[in-house]
Amino acid sequence: MTDADRTSPLALYRTMLVIRRVEERLARSHRLGLIHGACHTCVGQEAIAAAVCAHLGPDDPIFSTHRGHGHALAKGVDPGAMVAELYGRETGCSRGRGGSMHLFAPEVGLMGTSGIVGPCILQAAGAGYSSLVLGDQRVSVAFFGDGAVNNGAFHEGLNMASIWRLPVLFVCENNQFATEVPFASVTGNPGVAERGAAYGLPSVSLDGNDALAVEAAVREAVARARSGGGPTLLECRTYRTRAHAEGMGDFTYRTRAEVDAWKERCPIARLRAVLLDRRLADETGLVALEHEVEALAEAAHASAEAAAAPAPEGATTHVVAGPRPGPPREAPGTGPGTRELPFARATLEALSTSMSQDPRIFVLGEGIGARGGNFATTNGLFAAHGPVRLRDTPICERGFVGLACGAAMTGTRPVVDFMFADFVLDAAGEIINQIAKMRYMSSGRLGMPVVLRGCIGIGHSAATHHSGSYYSMYAHFPGLKVVVPSTPRDAKGLLRTALTGDDPVLFLEHRELMGLKGPVPEEDYSIDFGKASVVRPGRDITVVALALMVHRTLEACRVLEAEGISVELIDPRTVAPLDVGTILDSVARTGRLLIVDEDFAHCGIGAEIAARLAEHGFDDLDAPIRRLNGSPSPTPYSPSLEAAVVPDVRGIASAIRDLCAE
Amino acid sequence: MEEGRFVAWLRKDGDLVPEGEPLFTVEGDKATQDVEALSAGVLRIAADGPAEGDTIEVGRVLGWILAPGESIPTTGPAGTGATAAASSATAPTAPTAPTAPTDGLTTDAPSESPARAPSSPGPSERPPASPRARRAARQHGIDLATLSPTGRGGRLRERDVLTAATGRADPGEIPGAPQGWTSVPTPPMRRIIAARLVQARRETVPVTLTARADATALMALRRHLKSEAAPGESAPTLNDLLLKLTAEALSLHPMIAAVWAEDRLLLPRSIHLGLAVDTEAGLRVPVVRDVGTSTLEEIAAATRRLIAEARSGRIAPADLQGGCFTLTNLGSLGIEAFTPVPNPPESAILGVGTIVRDVVALEDGGFVARERLTLSLTFDHRVNDGAAAARFLQSLRGLIENPPFPIP
Ligand SMILES: Cc1ncc(C[n+]2csc(CCOP(=O)(O)OP(=O)(O)O)c2C)c(N)n1
Ligand SMILES: [Mg+2]
Repeated sequence: MTDADRTSPLALYRTMLVIRRVEERLARSHRLGLIHGACHTCVGQEAIAAAVCAHLGPDDPIFSTHRGHGHALAKGVDPGAMVAELYGRETGCSRGRGGSMHLFAPEVGLMGTSGIVGPCILQAAGAGYSSLVLGDQRVSVAFFGDGAVNNGAFHEGLNMASIWRLPVLFVCENNQFATEVPFASVTGNPGVAERGAAYGLPSVSLDGNDALAVEAAVREAVARARSGGGPTLLECRTYRTRAHAEGMGDFTYRTRAEVDAWKERCPIARLRAVLLDRRLADETGLVALEHEVEALAEAAHASAEAAAAPAPEGATTHVVAGPRPGPPREAPGTGPGTRELPFARATLEALSTSMSQDPRIFVLGEGIGARGGNFATTNGLFAAHGPVRLRDTPICERGFVGLACGAAMTGTRPVVDFMFADFVLDAAGEIINQIAKMRYMSSGRLGMPVVLRGCIGIGHSAATHHSGSYYSMYAHFPGLKVVVPSTPRDAKGLLRTALTGDDPVLFLEHRELMGLKGPVPEEDYSIDFGKASVVRPGRDITVVALALMVHRTLEACRVLEAEGISVELIDPRTVAPLDVGTILDSVARTGRLLIVDEDFAHCGIGAEIAARLAEHGFDDLDAPIRRLNGSPSPTPYSPSLEAAVVPDVRGIASAIRDLCAE
Repeated sequence: MEEGRFVAWLRKDGDLVPEGEPLFTVEGDKATQDVEALSAGVLRIAADGPAEGDTIEVGRVLGWILAPGESIPTTGPAGTGATAAASSATAPTAPTAPTAPTDGLTTDAPSESPARAPSSPGPSERPPASPRARRAARQHGIDLATLSPTGRGGRLRERDVLTAATGRADPGEIPGAPQGWTSVPTPPMRRIIAARLVQARRETVPVTLTARADATALMALRRHLKSEAAPGESAPTLNDLLLKLTAEALSLHPMIAAVWAEDRLLLPRSIHLGLAVDTEAGLRVPVVRDVGTSTLEEIAAATRRLIAEARSGRIAPADLQGGCFTLTNLGSLGIEAFTPVPNPPESAILGVGTIVRDVVALEDGGFVARERLTLSLTFDHRVNDGAAAARFLQSLRGLIENPPFPIP
């Protein structure tokens, strides 16, 4: 089929009909109990999906919403695979992991429907950013409802797409309601297109039930995007004529008369009339087509119903990438090329090497461009790689993390440099709900190579908005890897691993260690995640510590050495995955375990380590497991208060002494 | 029993063994026992199987009985995965834990759930010990109850166990024996005895009463029975007579055999009496069943068998359990009175002293020679007061002085 064939009115008609018939079939199946979860249909809105996708190739990624059947089908997802997904079958396009709100078919450019309103806008911008980095002229599309227009993702996403002229179409399907809330009641300015204009985007408001009008607008917008002209916002005014979701009531917030009036404006009937009117098809041909599509929908249902349910053994596969082949990787020993380098210089070496080797890597952050980063994390790289790969961002953490997500989904390897990890809490949803889950939701088809780096830790009277630790929180979520290095040498090797792996990594660098000097081998090396380092062997007690606490504990060890107490100090280096084996081995020898952790005790990494020890090393314990943590309060400013909330050398030494006396 | 000393394999690795065939011998708290094959098959001894003299914990997998052609399960270290992973044809062989039967005891308080008899030392009765100390104790065959804790709050630590373990290795090999001392290993039986005694001491309030009884009539009876016995046959001994009389006295004073169980007292349904026997391996207390309802001859036959089996070390664990009261006789060693310690979970014990020929003053100012013995009754003051114990002794003394057996 040529492009002209695909965008012809007859082709659009057929696509719309497929969507309608398949969704009507789904509505029946929902009543029959074949669909286990939610099912939002787009009956009445088909023209938009059909017209937009007609202008896209399989490589052009689209990002959709909870109301995404139409987008999936128009993009080329096999109807049988889509229906099977809703039926929870192994042959479903997400292999039964997603259902209606998590349809994935990256092979045809469907980068997911979504259960969260908003992020698809940022992800489409990220896909646009991938096109920019890779220069491959793909155009990406975000479909979203009027509900998303009031969400920060819309504003941050449109702004970024506009400033960087990203090849993106933002397609708002304004069906006038968000669930049951009329759009008019939740906006001070009901003109969606005007909002786009506010960010400097060409923005058009359209009759979304007029397939040909939408097709014409999309044609222009796609051409602009492909030729480097940047993004476009299309507001397509439409109406869904079924309930928000199957099984929900419909007339508490709108009238039957209103719905019936919109049914009269059915985009499919309207296009059919045009086809006959312009003699683009005859009645016999259309009836034959309608029979064919009817049969296609029934066949999709039949094949889905016949398909097997997925085997429960696979329920937790595709959470993270499989194990890397090859021998374990560790930092080389000290050799002639070893220099004393500060922490930030060591990580800069890893980033610099990676960026030279892999053109897919780019960095986002505030002041990481020409300035070289607040902590000199990107010093000199801007000169070497330019603004596309070292991108200073607006202050919209959620926005650029969501953008990084979409970029990773579409073939690039973003590094997000937050400066301080506290700032990224604004983006927690993008990290936890999107980045961490994407590999799984796509049943392993999308790798998520995103490195999220920033400073953690108390010091410098930074007070409570520049001092959190957060590693335990992130480590809680399957899919995320969490790295907390304590030495320049480890930091270099671990960052190198983060930059070459295929999973999202939180790379958390302690503020007080950024200037710490230590031996760093000159050569390129990587350190595997999930392998603790025995910082210091000892006999009487095992202490586990991370980041700054490693150094404070080392000092305490020197004091205790004189008293005849021999401490084995273990630095897990990565909190997820966590090397419990090394800790167990150590406690098997010493019989005592203390976890020194700057972070809060409650539900923290110390609790996790203690639990694992109790589960797997109970008989090795000669004394209770102890934790020494930061105080459970926001971080205070005044030096005397600040010092009071972090474990110090004396406190650590006395905790060790005390545990040895147990 | 939580562990035992492995004595020997009775069959070799690879032997085809029929069901019921003894496989190995293990020495427990109370007895040496042969463990038999539960099913027929090929015996495969675990690679880390025990050597003679090793302490083995209950539940440890020592080997497998395999169907012909079946191979050893490969899961995990012995004692963990092997048991669970064994196929149905594969029966792991492991020492079993003979536990004290709780039947035969009744409670004097109405209860919905079966009364729990005080059992041999369990974890809750020990001083608190770290998991590591407990493991070390299992490995070294040391009873934690015998150790002095050095940890905070009286917790036993691994070092406490290791110190004790070092203290009882072979002389010469032992580092750390105090100057001027040599040490010999504490035999397992000694440790068990010690543990039980310490437990009794810790948990009961023992009081000993002594009373002298005129045994002239009893000794006459004993001599008569002896003379009656056919040549080569043995007659009931003094202990047999005393067992019978003690049972009589207990039936008059059942509370003397009652056992403390906090909110209730447990009273025996039948009078099974322990008899302390001095063996090469140390003290053993076999139990004579139903003494109250047995004839003297039956009692005599039972004690003969039990004493012989206890001395040979091959007494069945069941014969060492279920007593409600014990008799211990040091008379043959010339002891007159002593303070015996009850045999847990029992709460009282009767010590019997040597027969002394005493000169007894008569009312009329004359003197007469009588055979007399001293009874030493130790009882748990929590269960009985001194007067009750004294009344029991008084009854027993009466029975000894006027034995209710017909002398033909
Ligand atoms: C962040 C977020 N908040 C709330 C919801 C619950 N929710 C699901 S659909 C929906 C309405 C969305 O309205 P709109 O974006 O206009 O899409 P439509 O359903 O009209 O197609 C809401 C609030 C959600 N999924 N995500
Ligand atoms: Mg809407």
